[in-house]
Amino acid sequence: MEEKNIDEKESLELISQMIQSTKEYMEIGSGNHFIYWGYFTAALSIVIYSVFQLTGWKSCGFLWLLMFVFWIFMEVLNHRKRPTVMTYINKVIDHVWYAMGSMFIVTFAVILCIGFIYGRYNSLDLMMPLSAIYVGIGVAITGIIIQNKWIAYLPFVGIGLGLYMLTALYLNILPNISWHLMFGLSFIIMMAIPGHILKRKENKAC
Amino acid sequence: MLRELDPLLHSQLRLAVVSILMSLDEADFVYLRKKTESTAGNLSVQLDKLSAAGYISTERVIEGKKTRTLCRMTSKGKQAFEDYVDALKVYLNVKK
Repeated sequence: MEEKNIDEKESLELISQMIQSTKEYMEIGSGNHFIYWGYFTAALSIVIYSVFQLTGWKSCGFLWLLMFVFWIFMEVLNHRKRPTVMTYINKVIDHVWYAMGSMFIVTFAVILCIGFIYGRYNSLDLMMPLSAIYVGIGVAITGIIIQNKWIAYLPFVGIGLGLYMLTALYLNILPNISWHLMFGLSFIIMMAIPGHILKRKENKAC
Repeated sequence: MLRELDPLLHSQLRLAVVSILMSLDEADFVYLRKKTESTAGNLSVQLDKLSAAGYISTERVIEGKKTRTLCRMTSKGKQAFEDYVDALKVYLNVKK
C-alpha cells in the first residue's frame, strides 16, 4: 500500500478488509503457558511422590512451594517479550489469570497466617484442592472467551478433583500420597492438553 | 452540506493503519507492515504523520537487542475515524 488518494467506496472497502484481516489472526499466546504449567506441575507431582516413596518424608508436600519459583521464572519470561498484537480478548484473558493468581496468593497468605496463629499448618492441605479449582475455573473461562469447547470443559476434571479433595478433607479423610499424582494428572488434562489445542489452533491460523 | 473528508485519513496506507488499530488494542510496526504490505520507510512516515496529529500513540520497547514500535489509537484518533466513517456514509448516500 502507498500514500495514495482513494475514493469513498474504496475507503469503505479498505476499512472492511483491514478489520476482517485482524480477525483472521488472533494471537492467543497462552498455549505455551498452559503447556509449561501443565507439564511442570505433573513433573513436580512425580518428584514429590518419588521423594516420599524413597525417603518417607511426610512433609514432602512443601516441595509444592517450587511452583512459586516457577511462577517467578514465567513472569520474567513474559516480561521479556510483549505480544505482536494486543486485542481486547487478550486483555480480558490476562485479567482473568491476574484474578486467579491474586486469589491463589490471598488464599495461601490467609491459610499460612491462620496456621501461624494456631501453630498448626495442616490447613495447607487445602491449597491442593483450591489450586485445582482456581486453575480449572481460569482455563474454563479462557475456553469460553475463545469459544473452544474442549478448553472450556476439560478443566472440569480438575474442578471435580478439587471438590472431591475438599469434601474428603471436610469428612476428616486424610490426604494420601496418591493425591499428589492425581493433582499432577489433572494438570495434564486441564492445562497441558488445552495448551496443545491452543498451539495447534495458533499454527493453523498462521 | 457535505463535510470534508479528513485528508489525514483519506489516504490508502494511513486509513489501512487506522482501521487495523481500531480493531486491536495495540499492534507493533512489523505486524502493521505485514498487514498493509507497505515498505518500512513509507509506513514509518505515515505513522509519524498520524502520531503528529495525535491520532495514534507510539511506544518504543527494547527487547534484548531489538527495538519494537508499538502503536495504539488515541481517543482523538478514534473520534476522527468515527467522524470519517460517518462522513463516508453521507457521501455514499448522496452519490446514490
